[in-house]
Amino acid sequence: MTDPRVTGSARYAEDLELPGMLHARVVRSLYPHARILGVEGSRVPSSCVVLGPDDVRELGRYGCQIQDQTVLAVDRARFVGDPVAAVAAPTLREADEAALSVDVDYEELPAVYDAVEAAAPGAPLVHDAAVAGGAAAYFAMRPQPGTNVCHRFRIRHGDVEAGFAEADVVVERTYRTAGAQHAHMEPHACVARWDSDLLELWTGTQTPFNVREDLARVFGVAEDRIRLVSPPMGGAFGAKTFVRVEAIAAALARKAGRPVKLVLPRSEEWQTLNRHPATIVVRLGARSDGTLIAKQITCYADTGAYADCGPGVAQKMGFSAPGPYRIPNVSVDAFCVYTNLPPNGAFRGYGQMQSTWASERAMDELADALGIDPLDLRLQNVLREGERYCTGETLHDVRFAECLEAAAEAIGWREGRRGKGLSLVMKGMQTPSRAAIVVEAGDDGGYVLRCATAEMGQGARHAISLLAAELLGVEPESIRFPDPDTSLVPYDTRTTSSRSTYMMGRALVEAVRDLRESGGRRGLGEVRDEGGLDPDTGQGVASTHWHQGAAAAVVDVDTETGLIAVSRLHTSTYAGRVVNRPGAELQTEGSMIMGLGTALFEEVVQLDGQVTNANLSDYPIPAFADIPVQLTHDLLEREGAEIHGLGETALPPVPPAIGNAVASLGIDLADLPMKPEAVLAAIEARQGAVA
Amino acid sequence: MQVNGAAHELEARADESILAVLRRELGLLSVRETCGIGVCGACTVLLDGEPVSGCLLLAPLAQGCELTTVEGLGGEHPVQRAFADAHAFQCGYCTAGMILTAKRLLEDEARPSEDDVRAAMSGNLCRCGSYVKIVDAVLGAAAERAA
Repeated sequence: MTDPRVTGSARYAEDLELPGMLHARVVRSLYPHARILGVEGSRVPSSCVVLGPDDVRELGRYGCQIQDQTVLAVDRARFVGDPVAAVAAPTLREADEAALSVDVDYEELPAVYDAVEAAAPGAPLVHDAAVAGGAAAYFAMRPQPGTNVCHRFRIRHGDVEAGFAEADVVVERTYRTAGAQHAHMEPHACVARWDSDLLELWTGTQTPFNVREDLARVFGVAEDRIRLVSPPMGGAFGAKTFVRVEAIAAALARKAGRPVKLVLPRSEEWQTLNRHPATIVVRLGARSDGTLIAKQITCYADTGAYADCGPGVAQKMGFSAPGPYRIPNVSVDAFCVYTNLPPNGAFRGYGQMQSTWASERAMDELADALGIDPLDLRLQNVLREGERYCTGETLHDVRFAECLEAAAEAIGWREGRRGKGLSLVMKGMQTPSRAAIVVEAGDDGGYVLRCATAEMGQGARHAISLLAAELLGVEPESIRFPDPDTSLVPYDTRTTSSRSTYMMGRALVEAVRDLRESGGRRGLGEVRDEGGLDPDTGQGVASTHWHQGAAAAVVDVDTETGLIAVSRLHTSTYAGRVVNRPGAELQTEGSMIMGLGTALFEEVVQLDGQVTNANLSDYPIPAFADIPVQLTHDLLEREGAEIHGLGETALPPVPPAIGNAVASLGIDLADLPMKPEAVLAAIEARQGAVA
Repeated sequence: MQVNGAAHELEARADESILAVLRRELGLLSVRETCGIGVCGACTVLLDGEPVSGCLLLAPLAQGCELTTVEGLGGEHPVQRAFADAHAFQCGYCTAGMILTAKRLLEDEARPSEDDVRAAMSGNLCRCGSYVKIVDAVLGAAAERAA
C-alpha cells in the first residue's frame, strides 16, 4: 500500500467538512491589556452567528494547570490577540467580513512584557486571582499572592552557601532564551458539533483527554457527553496540547445549532501559543581540581497572559537546570510569571532547552576559568550508574558519559578544540503518568489497537504497531489502528514528552498478556508511573525515566558579517532499544534541525506587546540551505534495555554545543538566538576590552 | 484548464487563489496552505510544468493552463516511490509540494548533486526537519532512473 503522505490522500482535521457546517473567525484584542467596555455585533449580517462576552460569562473556566481562562476574554483582555468575540458564517469570506464588523470598546490598562519585571513587586497584575487544578496539574501549585508569579518551584539540596565558601572558582552569569513559534505546517484546526447534549469534536490535539476534561468544566457536562477524535496532525511540537481552538468552536456551534469549523490563519498562531522566553541566572562553583561543589539557579519562565502548562514548564526548567552532574549543594528557584504577551506553552522538550542552554554554557565558562578541557570537566563530574540526582532519586541505566564520548569522538575533539563545542542533556519524562491500550482480535486474523496516542508526524503509532506485530506474531499490515477517539479508547495522560513509545509499549505488553491469558478476543493493558516532586524542596521523583544525550558542533564565524556557519552537527542519544529505525532517525534529525533554528535565528519579536514578525517570512524556520552539510547522529543501544523516547532529546543540547563552539573562538554569548548582531557586538566588546 | 490530465471548467472569483479553487471545486486536498505568502512551498502545484505557489497564483491566471497536483502522479511515480522508500516525510503536510518540486528538478537535471537538490528545493519548508532524507529520496529517484 502506498503511503497516503506521498499520494496526497493523507487527511488532517483541517480537511474535515460536515453538512451545514459554518466557518469561524476570532476577533482579537488590539491592546496588550485593556478593560473591555463593550462588544457590539449589530453590523454583522444575520446569516452569521456572533459569540460575545455575554454568551460565555456563565460558562466555566478552563486551564490545564490553573483555571485562568474563559472561552472569550470577558471583562479584560490580557494580550494583543486575546479572543474577545468570534463569528461563524456560511463561508470563510463572510466570516472574515463579519469579524471585521464587530466593534469592541477598550480602555487601556498598564501592561508588562518581561518576566523578571513582572515578578517584581508593584508590576501591573495580569490576573487578580486564579484557581489551580486540573488533571495536568500533577504537582502542588505555589502561586505567590499579590504578584504575577503563578507558580514557584524550589530545590534545596545540601547547603549551597557553604558549598560556595569551599569553592576555589565561581562563575556567575545571566542567560536568556527567546520565545519561539512552533510553526507546525498545519494550523490549529477543529470541527465541533452538538447533537442535543452530546458534544463531538474532531481536532488535531496531542491531549484528547485533557481537552475533554477542560471542555466538560466549561460547558458543565459530564466527560462522557463529549466525544473527541484526533486525526493525524500536520506537525504539532507541543502547540497542539490542551485547549486551543476547541472551546471557541464548541461555544459557537452550540449557539449556531450547526457544526462549526475553526482553522487559525497563520498569523494567529503567534497569538495562540509560543515557547516560553526564559531568564536563567546560574552560579556555579568548583574546587581547583574541577570537582563541582555548588550550583545555584534562578529561572524566570514568561508564561504570557495565561498559565497554560507554564507551571510545569517552569518546574521542569528548574529540576533539569542542575544537569547530569554530581553536585553536593544545589539550590533552585524557578518562577512561572504572567506577562501581557501571548500565552506560552509546551514546545518540544519543554523547559529543557532553556535550562540546558544556561547550564551547559556555564559548564564551558567554568572549564575556561579552571583551565580544564570542557570534555574532561564534564566526564569528571557526570552522573554514573546508581548515583543520586539532587532530587534524591537514584538513576538507572545511566549513559551520559557514553553519549558524551561518542559525540566528542564524532567531531575529533581530541585533535584540537578550536571552533568546536560539546554539551549534554538530561531530560525528564512526564511523571506521574498513565497509559492504557486495548488489543482486539479481529475475525480476519488481524488485530485492532485502541489507544489515545496521537499522530503528529513523530511516528509513535507506527512504532506501537511494529511492537504489536512483534508481540502478536503477525505482520504489521494485519494491525489496524484507528485514530484516537475518547469514546472508544482507554484513558492516557497525553502524547507529550517523548513518552508514548515507552509508556504505551509497556501497556501493550500487558494488553497482549491479558488477551492471551483471558483466552478472549480483547486484552487491556495499563501502566501507571508514580512520582512527582515536592514544590518547596524539589525532593521526590522528577522522572521515572530519563532521556540522555549529547551534542557536538563545529563552527566558523564570519567576523565581518557576524554569521555563524555550522559545518558539522552531531548528536549521540541513548535509545536503549530502537523500535522503528527510520522514524528514530527522522525524529532525531528533526530535533537537531529545530535546535539549529533556536540556536541561530528563531525569535518571536514583540514591541509593546505586539508580535512584529508573525509570518513565515519575518520569522524564518530552517530550510534546506540552513542544514549543515554534515548532520549526523548515533542512537546508542544496549541489549535488554528499555525503550527510550527520542522525540525531543536531540534538540536541547544543540544550541549550547553551537554556543560553546562559538565561545571557543573567543565570542562569548549568553543569549539565544545567536544572531549576527549579537556576534558582532561580542567581537566589538572583546576588541574594546583588549584596547 | 487542464487539471491532472482532465479538462475542467471552474467557477472562481477574480481574487481567489488557485489553492482555494482546487481544494473547493475539485477536492484536491494535497494542495495545502501553510504560510499563505509564498515562502513555504506546501501549496506547490505545477503550472505548465513549472512549480508555483498555489496560494499566490490567482485562479483566473491559470485559465487555459495545465495544472498538476500530486494526486495527478498516480501514486507509483518514481519520485513518489523514492520518497516512500527513503522515508522522506514525517507529518506529511509538506510532502506533496516537495515531490512536485523534485519532479521538476529531475526533468531538468538527470543526475543532480546534493547541492543542486538543496538549491532547487530551497523554496519548500519542512518543519519536521526531514531534509536529510528528502535529499536522499531525490538523489535516489535520479539514481533509479539512471539505472
